[in-house]
Amino acid sequence: MLRRLRGWLRAILRHDAVEGEMQEEMRLHLERKIERLVARGLSPEAARAEAMREFGNLGRIQEEARDARGVQWIESALQDARYAVRGLRLKPGFAFAVIATLGLGVGANATMFGIVDRLMLRPPRYLIGPERSHHFYFGRSENGVERLGQAAQYRRYLDLAEGNSSMDVVAAFAPRQLAVGAGDIAEEAVFGAASASLWKLFDARPALGRFFTAEEDRDTDGARVAVLSYSYWQSRYGGSPDVLGSTIVIRPAQYTVIGVAPRGFAGVALETPDVFIPIAMAALDDFGPAWATARAEYSMTWLEIYGRRKPGVTLEAAEADLSAAYRASYRKQIEMEPGTAPIDLARPRVVLGSMLAERGPAPSANSRIALWLLGVTGIVLLIACANAGNLLLARALGRRREIAVRVALGVSRGRLLRQLLIESMVVAVLGTVAGLLLAQWGGQLLRTFLMNSVEWDSPIADRRVLLFTTVTAVFAGLLAGLAPMLQAGRSDQVAALKTGARDGEGRRSRIRAGLMLVQVALSVILLIGTGLFVRSFTRVGRVHLGYDAGRLLVVQVRLRNVELDSTQQVALRHALLDRARQNPAVEGATLAYSVPFSGTRSRRIFVAGVDSTSRLGEFIEQAASPGYFTTVGTRLLTGRDLLPEDGPGAPLVAVVSADMAKVLWPRQNAIGQCFRTRTDGAPCRTVVGIAENVKQASLGSEAAYTYYLPARQAGEFEGRLILRIRGEAESQREAIRRDLQGVMPSAGYLAVRPMARVVSQVTRSWRLGSTLFAVFGSLALVLASIGLYSVVAYSVAQRKHEVGVRIALGAKAGNVVGLVMRDGLRVVLAGVAVGAGVALAAGQWLSPLLFQVSPRDPWVFGAVTGVLVIVALIASGVPALRATRVDPATVLRED
Amino acid sequence: MPPAKTTLLQGTLDLIVLQLLQAEPTNGYDLTQRIQAISRDVLNVNAGSLYPALYRLEERGLVRAEWQSTDKGRRAKVYSLTAQGRKQLAGERDSWHRFSGALAAILRTG
Repeated sequence: MLRRLRGWLRAILRHDAVEGEMQEEMRLHLERKIERLVARGLSPEAARAEAMREFGNLGRIQEEARDARGVQWIESALQDARYAVRGLRLKPGFAFAVIATLGLGVGANATMFGIVDRLMLRPPRYLIGPERSHHFYFGRSENGVERLGQAAQYRRYLDLAEGNSSMDVVAAFAPRQLAVGAGDIAEEAVFGAASASLWKLFDARPALGRFFTAEEDRDTDGARVAVLSYSYWQSRYGGSPDVLGSTIVIRPAQYTVIGVAPRGFAGVALETPDVFIPIAMAALDDFGPAWATARAEYSMTWLEIYGRRKPGVTLEAAEADLSAAYRASYRKQIEMEPGTAPIDLARPRVVLGSMLAERGPAPSANSRIALWLLGVTGIVLLIACANAGNLLLARALGRRREIAVRVALGVSRGRLLRQLLIESMVVAVLGTVAGLLLAQWGGQLLRTFLMNSVEWDSPIADRRVLLFTTVTAVFAGLLAGLAPMLQAGRSDQVAALKTGARDGEGRRSRIRAGLMLVQVALSVILLIGTGLFVRSFTRVGRVHLGYDAGRLLVVQVRLRNVELDSTQQVALRHALLDRARQNPAVEGATLAYSVPFSGTRSRRIFVAGVDSTSRLGEFIEQAASPGYFTTVGTRLLTGRDLLPEDGPGAPLVAVVSADMAKVLWPRQNAIGQCFRTRTDGAPCRTVVGIAENVKQASLGSEAAYTYYLPARQAGEFEGRLILRIRGEAESQREAIRRDLQGVMPSAGYLAVRPMARVVSQVTRSWRLGSTLFAVFGSLALVLASIGLYSVVAYSVAQRKHEVGVRIALGAKAGNVVGLVMRDGLRVVLAGVAVGAGVALAAGQWLSPLLFQVSPRDPWVFGAVTGVLVIVALIASGVPALRATRVDPATVLRED
Repeated sequence: MPPAKTTLLQGTLDLIVLQLLQAEPTNGYDLTQRIQAISRDVLNVNAGSLYPALYRLEERGLVRAEWQSTDKGRRAKVYSLTAQGRKQLAGERDSWHRFSGALAAILRTG
């Protein structure tokens, strides 16, 4: 093996020397033979001829000899590669088309693979034993339906960590948005609140300093220490080693930096936290005085649990063991909170899932979209392959005579196929380079769009992506090279030589037509997907929300550790409201319990004459100060607004949504009716107004039951401020935050979010789907139209002679155009039919991702067909018109 | 008229080359001459099959090649057996003897 390797190496490195040696040896042989024949009395010329004859075909012997040395394939491969490169250089247009085509396909795939890999395939970096490491999910049955959740309490974490015998490590983790710095410079950073055991899940050494210990992670006598992520260290501290020992203000306390995590370390999260702090200290500072009770109870679920099985413990055994610990913990919870569902009904159990949340058992929409897009880019790649294959084939057909000559000169068919293969490989390699560049630039955009807070490696620096890209490219090259190879393997070379200038006349390549059909069909599928998503997205955009999302800012008060009693809380909010109303940019301000899609709560309500309201659906309770409806832009349909007079002593009132009025009091006037909230015994609230429906749980068309209570009649709550901004809200955000911050007690700060951004979270999947489908769909369309153009243009060039004859015989321009276009159009129509059929059949899988659009939407199907027919007309029309200008005299003389 | 030529049995060329090289390291040209001479012109191995065979054997590590100057001051690539080649030859010779003995016995039955 080694010797053979050496031989190959020698063959490559010392190619000329080895080759020279061989020729020298044969030359010497020949010389001696001639000498001997001359000695026998032949003339030198005759002797030479005789010797050569006996020697046979010198070139062939050398080739055989090379074969024997086992290096033939390398030599000829290099030779073929050089030949291919030369060929590409000679036709830069063709080269660009092929390489760009493959590059687009490969680049799109590299990008999407990078994303899917991060979401679903690649375990967190530095993780020990990925197959034994798990994210804990907690199953509980409600009404016989099991719900799986990841959130857990600190107490539960301790119970499980201490009560199991199957795990090496159990760790708690909670991502937090916390403010760093004080006063105006306060900004939010992402914190990883982690138990000290979290570090044991990883085989990571700190880049600087050390990680925190179990002693420091105790809420009784722990230490406020922080470990910075590598990137935060780089960006905020310039990678300076002096950072150790410095303090970092994390409201309301100061933490000492003791270490820096290694490069690329993100812990268990997909998004790299900026700073890691001990979870017990984070809880102490975050919950404030409430923590004293929360730590011992099961009331607050706010963290996630991860762990690693002991070696040799099966998944089932570990789940059984942890479920037993969970049940024991659950019994303690029942003792503390008597209202908790009994254990036989709740049937609590632990499910050990993948470390990657998107792998399930409860994945988000992100992974679904990413997988869809991977499928889409796969189709784009197939189209690119078909297109590149078509281009290569066109060229191979154009070279039929050249190939025929080479075959006649003794080049074996195998060698010929190999050369075609190598040619497509060269193209594939160049395409990969183009694709990687594309993935580098375009992919950045896509990744920011899809998951902007994840730390990404550049695709060129990422080994897995690089490997995937290479494999994809080789596959693409093989696929693209297949068509010309099939053709070459089949064609009759002698006939090719004989046909002369009219080569291939009348022959319509079935392979080319087939490739074209595949391209069109795949493009149709993608374009239909695009159409459906774009229509969904426009529908989403046209949904009447019932409020002016674009004009609203949501202000949340984060007090951190500042202790305020409820009067002070209320006073603070009123101070904030007053300050906001004085701001000229603010048109109106109101206090509200929740905002749509964020922090809403639903209550049980009771209405005389209605049996059980909960079977009708959810009733969302909103509490708001007077002026709420004008501020958010919800229209009041009848009745009156909430008024300042609706205070604690006044009669209890409420405004209800139109749907709620209709479902509770059908065919009656809801105004003046009354309902109770929370308990049957509560005092009855009189309906004083009906407001239009608002979308705040989903964008769908399902009924929206909402009722609004006057803030001062709603009990204590820590509400948010909603501000109506003159003009567009987003741009005013920072100025308003600074202005309002002045009212806050020193340690507190404000989180200000534009309402539009809250809504856009909800519409994101459609926006993503429509944008990306549109990008890839138009890419497919461009590729397919290039392909179609090249096919028709090529066949026109091939049939020039025939066209010339027809024109000479008196054919009209129209006849010629029809003749040329007919074939192209026929293929396109067949492709459209096939593609539309597949799309119809596959539509059911897409429908959950659509919004109020049928996957068989006739408009979309019609439009796509129309677009393709138009593209086909143009792509085949241009070469067809060119064909009419064929000058019969010239063409016929060419032969 | 040269005597009737016999075509070589598949795989016997390697055996012949190894056997001749064991007797004496030789260059390619002399090998062809020697085969012809020893087989009394029955076997005619031309350069077209000899060189690929030599390269093949070299590739397998059974022979090694060296450039040498001959007595007449001519350069030539001289092939000689390696230890592995010797072992291979012994094995192949045994199996050839067994084969030809068996074949002879069968032919005698006629």
